[in-house]
Amino acid sequence: MTDSSESVAVSKEPEQVHGLLAEYETPQKLIAAARRIKEAGYSRWDSFSPFPVHGIDPAMGIRPTILPWIVFAAGLSGGTGALFFQWWTSTQDYPWIVSGKPFWSIPANIPITFELTVLAAALTCFAGMLILNKLPLPSHPLDRIRRFARVTNDRFFVLIQASDPKFDARQTSELLAATGPRGAVETVMEDTQSSNVVPRGVTFGLLILVSAAAVPFSLAALARVSTNTKPKFHIVPDMDFQQKYKPQRKNAFFEDQRAMRLDVAGTVAVGELKDDDHFYRGKLNGTFAKTFPPQIEISEQTMARGQDRFGIYCTPCHGVDGAGQGMVHQRARSLMQGTWVQPSDLHMEALRYKSVGELFEGISKGVRNMPGYARQIDPADRWAIVLYLRALQRSQAASLADLPEAERKGLE
Amino acid sequence: MSHPEEARLDDAITLDADSGGLFRSLLIVGVGSLSGAVLLGMNDLAKLQRAYLVAFMYVLSIALGALWFVTIQHLTNAKWSVVVRRVAEIMASNMWLVALLSLGVVGPMLLGSTDLYVWLDHARVEQDHVLHHKSAYLNIQFFIVRWVLYFGFWIWLGRRFFRLSVQQDRDGGSEISTTLRRISAPSMIVFALTLTFCAIDLVMSLDALWFSTMFGVYYFAGCVLAGYSTLGLFLMWIQSKGRLTTSVNSEHYHDIGKMMFAFTVFWAYIAFSQFMLIWYADVPEETHWYHWRFEGSWKVVSALLLVAHFAVPFFGLMSRHVKRNKRSLAFWAVWILVIHYVDLFWLVYPNGSGEVPLSAVDILCWLGVLGLFGAVSVRRAQKINLIPTGDPRLADSLAFENA
Repeated sequence: MTDSSESVAVSKEPEQVHGLLAEYETPQKLIAAARRIKEAGYSRWDSFSPFPVHGIDPAMGIRPTILPWIVFAAGLSGGTGALFFQWWTSTQDYPWIVSGKPFWSIPANIPITFELTVLAAALTCFAGMLILNKLPLPSHPLDRIRRFARVTNDRFFVLIQASDPKFDARQTSELLAATGPRGAVETVMEDTQSSNVVPRGVTFGLLILVSAAAVPFSLAALARVSTNTKPKFHIVPDMDFQQKYKPQRKNAFFEDQRAMRLDVAGTVAVGELKDDDHFYRGKLNGTFAKTFPPQIEISEQTMARGQDRFGIYCTPCHGVDGAGQGMVHQRARSLMQGTWVQPSDLHMEALRYKSVGELFEGISKGVRNMPGYARQIDPADRWAIVLYLRALQRSQAASLADLPEAERKGLE
Repeated sequence: MSHPEEARLDDAITLDADSGGLFRSLLIVGVGSLSGAVLLGMNDLAKLQRAYLVAFMYVLSIALGALWFVTIQHLTNAKWSVVVRRVAEIMASNMWLVALLSLGVVGPMLLGSTDLYVWLDHARVEQDHVLHHKSAYLNIQFFIVRWVLYFGFWIWLGRRFFRLSVQQDRDGGSEISTTLRRISAPSMIVFALTLTFCAIDLVMSLDALWFSTMFGVYYFAGCVLAGYSTLGLFLMWIQSKGRLTTSVNSEHYHDIGKMMFAFTVFWAYIAFSQFMLIWYADVPEETHWYHWRFEGSWKVVSALLLVAHFAVPFFGLMSRHVKRNKRSLAFWAVWILVIHYVDLFWLVYPNGSGEVPLSAVDILCWLGVLGLFGAVSVRRAQKINLIPTGDPRLADSLAFENA
């Protein structure tokens, strides 16, 4: 305790005093001082140190921060928000099949959910820390205390504010002096010289920064609404123009100048010989076969397979019942397409009396508007469809004699 | 910063005779359970081998978790962990026992059993193009070479950390700390490689046609979780005997809890990354592995892992109060150790049948290897200091505080 600090404190107007400052040389002394000030019942005071001092929180009586709860809430809302928007965009706003997955495929949404959880939590943590600490603080009365500069190096300080209800210039000064500070307890005056007005340079600087930040967005917006005759700008020319021959291009190296080379005449890939006329083309000795090839087993299983394939490839046009009233036909009719030809009714006589080999060829090569399906359906499945088609035709043209005896009696 | 009044080492830092009871009961549990498992499993050797493989991978994961813990503490020159490091050193130094236990897996392979590993079956390998292609790596001779390398390295590293640390108790000084820090850096690289390939050899190759580049790190995540959980429980048991009661406090438990929390997330991150890549690409060579785990009763186990290996402990371990309280931390450590067993069971067993064949043989194998490992660890803890008193960073560790 020194006389000078007291006399200074007393001689000034009370409202001009910001508080009393004490300086310590070690963190242990700071903690000891903090304990005494807390016990004395002060509430508006703080300690300052160059690094985090373990144990200062309980010594000062600082309650645990609520920041973790704020961060937890932010993380939860980030996660649920991310999930919600992915659900909404992919099932409500713009349903779109990706890779054959369901519209709402949670595994695909997890990375974004995870990232947004972390992002919301981290940003909230950063902003929450600043706000709870009332930062940034452009100026403080302590800035004008010369020796306070060492708080960033090797000194520890305590400041009791004059606004504390228990503050009394003499008693508070005595209390601080009794905690063993280095040098005198210093009175910190309110800053009356600094202005509250933000300097012009700062305002203009911020304005320029904000305007500059708008430039890329303005250019992008301009590009979206204007046209340009110049060729596209290539950011990665190596990728856009690769040194290789693409299909259907010229290559001067070869005599015929084709970049795509033909197979050597007579080449047959492994398993592609297809010399079984019956199985692959539905023909026996040059005419359409009336029987199924021996590879096709006439069984419930083949029938089920045929029904399944028929459902996938045939029903869109021919309809489930084969009457030629499928969804594609109905849609084409509703659009009143003049060129549309109705798909054949599979039950018409011409088709019922066709041989299985001919039906097989129809599926393979197509009929009128109908394209060939040889590329999409393998031969065994085409035969299975023919088998199912025979059963379907039979179902629409059955006579009483076709029914099992028990059922027939029931009808008679 | 330190609080001089709190930085105090316990007077009693050795267990002496106080651990005899636990040692004997663990030994009885170990020998008894293993004998019971063999007796019960005699009539189905394929089942017994699988049950034993799960149990073995479990005890290996604890030992590897402890070894990793010691290595990374030295590597990072960690101060907080000095007071808890000796317990991990004890567990890591028992790698010889784990190597001995591994004979239960490797023995049948040497005797010609192909129950577990299809790549040991010459006829199958000759027939299957992919297996034949892989046989340059997956063959018994090369496997034995790798197995010797894995365990040779782990035994050497565990013993080196333990021996030099105990020697430092007597000699003091910082030279030994420097030596250990020097060997920890290259050892960490070798550790990562050996653990990865061991997990591939012993577990991933059960389904020799399947492959995942994340498999090693998935097993590693489980190792670290099991290591920290066991470390925490071991320390609590020691404290229940009146030792280390002032040296090890809630600050150290808090850090152990943080690592359990972090690696719960890490495990989920790795598990999901492995799953999502395979789910998204949807290539049959890869998806069948998950398909088997989503079939029948395995679906429930998979869902259980998602909930009980990640979601529940994630929220459970989040609060600092939970991590600083011994009882709640013990609860979560036990929880993690149980669900870690389910995780390994889920890795080893599914074969496409959809059945979850958990039986008494599995539990007995598990208790058996755990009993033996526990007994040997308790035995080793009996005679030596439970804290590395010669470590120059001891004072910092005693005075450690979470900010």
